[in-house]
Amino acid sequence: MKALRAVLIVIAAALLAAVPWFGSDVLVQFGINALLLAVLAQGWNIIGGYAGYASFGNSVFYGLGSYGVAIAMVQWNLPFGVGMAFGVLLAVVFALLLGLPVLRLRGHYFAIATLALSQVMAAIVSNIGIAGQNIGLVLPPLNNDRLFYELALLLLAAATLTVWWLTRSRFGFGLIAIRENEEGAAVMGVNTTLYKVLAFALSGVFSALAGGIHAYWITFLDPESAFDISLNVKMIIMAVFGGAGTVLGPVVGALSLSAVSELLASEVTSIAGLFFGLVIVAAVVLMPRGLADMMRRLRGFGWRYFIENIRASRL
Amino acid sequence: MLPRLFFRFPSVILPCLLAALSLPAAAQEITLGASVQLTGPVANTGRYYRDAYQIAVEKINAAGGVKIGAQQYKLALKLYDNQSDVNLSVRQYTQLVSQDKVQLLLGPFASNFALADSAVSEKYKVPMVQGGGASDQIFSRKFKYIFGTLAPASNYFGSTIDMLKALKPAPKSVALLYADDAFDVSVAEGTRPKLKQAGLPIALDERYSTNATDFNSLLSQIKSKNIEAVLVAGHETEILNFVRQAKSLAVAPKMYSFTVGVPSEDFRHALGADADYAFGMTAWLPSAAQKDRWFGDAAQFASEYKQKYGYDPDYHAASGVADVEALVQAMETAGSMEPQKVRDALAKLKFDSLYGPVAFGANGQIDLPQVVIQVQGDGLAEIYGANGFVKQPKYPMPAWNAR
Amino acid sequence: MELLAQILANGILLGGLYAVMALGLALVWGVLNIVNLAHGAFIMLGAYASWHLYTYLGIDPFLGLPLTALLLFALGYALQRGLLNLVVRAPMFNTLLITFGLEVVLTYLAQLAFSADFRTINPPYAGSNVQFGGVVLPLVRLAAFGVAIVLTVGMWLFLLHTRLGRAIRATAQNLLAARLYGVEPRHLYAVTFGLGLALAGAAGGLYGTVSQINPYIGASLTAKSFAIAIIGGLDNPLGVIVGGLFLGIVESLTTLYIGPTFADVASFGILVLVLIVRPSGLLGRTA
Repeated sequence: MKALRAVLIVIAAALLAAVPWFGSDVLVQFGINALLLAVLAQGWNIIGGYAGYASFGNSVFYGLGSYGVAIAMVQWNLPFGVGMAFGVLLAVVFALLLGLPVLRLRGHYFAIATLALSQVMAAIVSNIGIAGQNIGLVLPPLNNDRLFYELALLLLAAATLTVWWLTRSRFGFGLIAIRENEEGAAVMGVNTTLYKVLAFALSGVFSALAGGIHAYWITFLDPESAFDISLNVKMIIMAVFGGAGTVLGPVVGALSLSAVSELLASEVTSIAGLFFGLVIVAAVVLMPRGLADMMRRLRGFGWRYFIENIRASRL
Repeated sequence: MLPRLFFRFPSVILPCLLAALSLPAAAQEITLGASVQLTGPVANTGRYYRDAYQIAVEKINAAGGVKIGAQQYKLALKLYDNQSDVNLSVRQYTQLVSQDKVQLLLGPFASNFALADSAVSEKYKVPMVQGGGASDQIFSRKFKYIFGTLAPASNYFGSTIDMLKALKPAPKSVALLYADDAFDVSVAEGTRPKLKQAGLPIALDERYSTNATDFNSLLSQIKSKNIEAVLVAGHETEILNFVRQAKSLAVAPKMYSFTVGVPSEDFRHALGADADYAFGMTAWLPSAAQKDRWFGDAAQFASEYKQKYGYDPDYHAASGVADVEALVQAMETAGSMEPQKVRDALAKLKFDSLYGPVAFGANGQIDLPQVVIQVQGDGLAEIYGANGFVKQPKYPMPAWNAR
Repeated sequence: MELLAQILANGILLGGLYAVMALGLALVWGVLNIVNLAHGAFIMLGAYASWHLYTYLGIDPFLGLPLTALLLFALGYALQRGLLNLVVRAPMFNTLLITFGLEVVLTYLAQLAFSADFRTINPPYAGSNVQFGGVVLPLVRLAAFGVAIVLTVGMWLFLLHTRLGRAIRATAQNLLAARLYGVEPRHLYAVTFGLGLALAGAAGGLYGTVSQINPYIGASLTAKSFAIAIIGGLDNPLGVIVGGLFLGIVESLTTLYIGPTFADVASFGILVLVLIVRPSGLLGRTA
């Protein structure tokens, strides 16, 4: 059973890796976007899904990663790899400095604090000269979509493997303990502060790497697109839709929702966003525990699954 | 088992379906592609481009289309709505070139869009003629496939400053306010040295956030420092807010001039009587002196446009039409629709259109002088051009309660 | 000196408008524990409602505020009863997501219905001002400030001294006990949410007289309202006045002394500081 599952995953990964060779340019571009979103969702999964701290500000790390690459390549003429490292450095420093105070907050206060942080960062960066202020920076163009696609896929694989490692490591168990009962976890000897900050930093690292790839690929960035607030909710919706706190949930959620959104955008352009909003509303009401949970329970419950969900949450 | 298979594969199958569903473009027609803001915060101005492209294509087709060699080709237009999202715009241009296989590209509105989208035209080596981005940044990257019909941002206030110098008495202090986006920053960077050269001291030089709604602080500073001339480089809504708040705070400098809004009918309509005395600039006026191969002249174009769409065109629309005409002229001169040849023809192009004389500089940008205009009473008056005063300006502006 | 006085006056008047904007959000959040990410979108709808009433029926935006508020109350009641009540007992996080989805839907519907064109409510007295000791006070902003005080104090009195207000607070504090006392929570939650939206609608009507309306103003209005509500504190309805005034003054002073592009840095920076140091806000009880 486990072996079959592993084989299926390998086949799916191989198929995904082969896309740039048999897919159209547009498909590859869509793929890069979808894969990066999946990385973001997976990164969020670490702090939101496993540690239970729903961050609404991972776009900060994404933006820091983007600007890290942009500043390194444009202002200092350093190679892409160094830029990525710089972006990761910025993200980790941010996670440590601001994660400590912000992770003391609980529930929706943490969410709002992270949301506020992403607003502040966008406002601050739009005043920084080296970052190009509000106009942003234009990176040297690199016409190699295949490379970006494989990089994104590699990053997703790394993120997913990390989450998988979480599910069988002491660190991961500690996070789950924090999620289920933080006081209890502390009493049991889990260093909650350390674990939370580490989880925050880890999710930040993946978001920053995704941001770096995106910046180089799109060849330009400005504060609004780098610290895009809507990314926050997108990555959360995708993670939750697929199943937060599972290994493959965010990947499935991100790829499927991206596909739906792209299909709508190319066929029914102006109402695409509208449908997306409706999907979010419907998903939260009918399947709040995500696709993974739905798949697992649908066979047993049938349509009553949805009604049960509503009954459990309604007033 | 089955549910597992089911829920893993859709994420792989769906994208493949997408790829299979794409259709090839029709032959025997030359398709021009563009991604324009039809919805979203800047759709207000984006629609000028959609309407301009459409009317130009229709008019050219009615006259027989494009003549390449001995063959006549009809023009077709493939437009996408980028929902005012730059990232989507970039992907749509990629789609236009690689999937829809359009021959040539027309541009979006706004400098930041043109900046990003020109990277696509350069990547695929398909010429793009855009009439929506004036920022000097777009043309400073040594790209070969981007051409622009909007005059350089840095020179927008050029003729206004010349006029200020010629006023008696010249204003003793100037305030320069500008939004923090590519276009307006370019304007400010070009305006500062010109003001210095003209001997007009800058008493207030402030950059404000795009989409700002509150100008009370800046206006209070203008009043307290008794600044006589105010130059604002910003977006239409900001300027509307600025003028309204100036009235409600009783701030009336001797003159103020705005980079956008004044030439547009809906701007003057939105402000009503409050629009009076406002200065602006335009590189285009619907005068019968500007002859055009397809429309006759600019005045005829303006009335046809108004009749078809129900609103007056401004320089955005004229610029959009010029883009289409430039591509057609280039194809005919080159005798081919092949991107490389069209690109070379565009670089050497020189012709007269309803928009004015079209010729691109070495960096791909047109250079047209701006004419100073002022709202006087109910209409727009041409005040100061290349040869000095055309009409007397209403200067200085009286206090709000003395109007 | 006179400039400083004017800047402070600007900030105070701005603060009044800010207070009205955040009042509905604070009410719904503080009492119902529903974090409404679509709050700004409802302000936008209120602005459009006010605009239509003014443009097509000639109703003055200030006099028409009760009507706008009523329209949005009805919308709020229906939304809570029909949709939001379904997720109230789910993790708080779900209300964040569902209200975000609502924001997207409302923005698109507004765009389809009203187009992306900018509108503004421009009554004939819009440009008038009152001069007081060397300081110019725009009439419309002064009136908005007055409305803000009235609404906020009114809300405070309502929650503390009327039967309905006490019932709402009781339901929020202890659902089971309230039920035992014969309170019908579904109805009460809907009434509260309706009130929150009515306040948002009123804020929209005021906003429409001082600024431009278009379908996309929702997101930034929500962000601002959050900052105001949290800085002021959610425990006390009067907190929004404190939060609004504080933010209005800080923004005006920042624009004067540092630069207009730093206003957002200041407001959201303070929000982050408040959350870290004193999450219950300036007027909140440090529990």
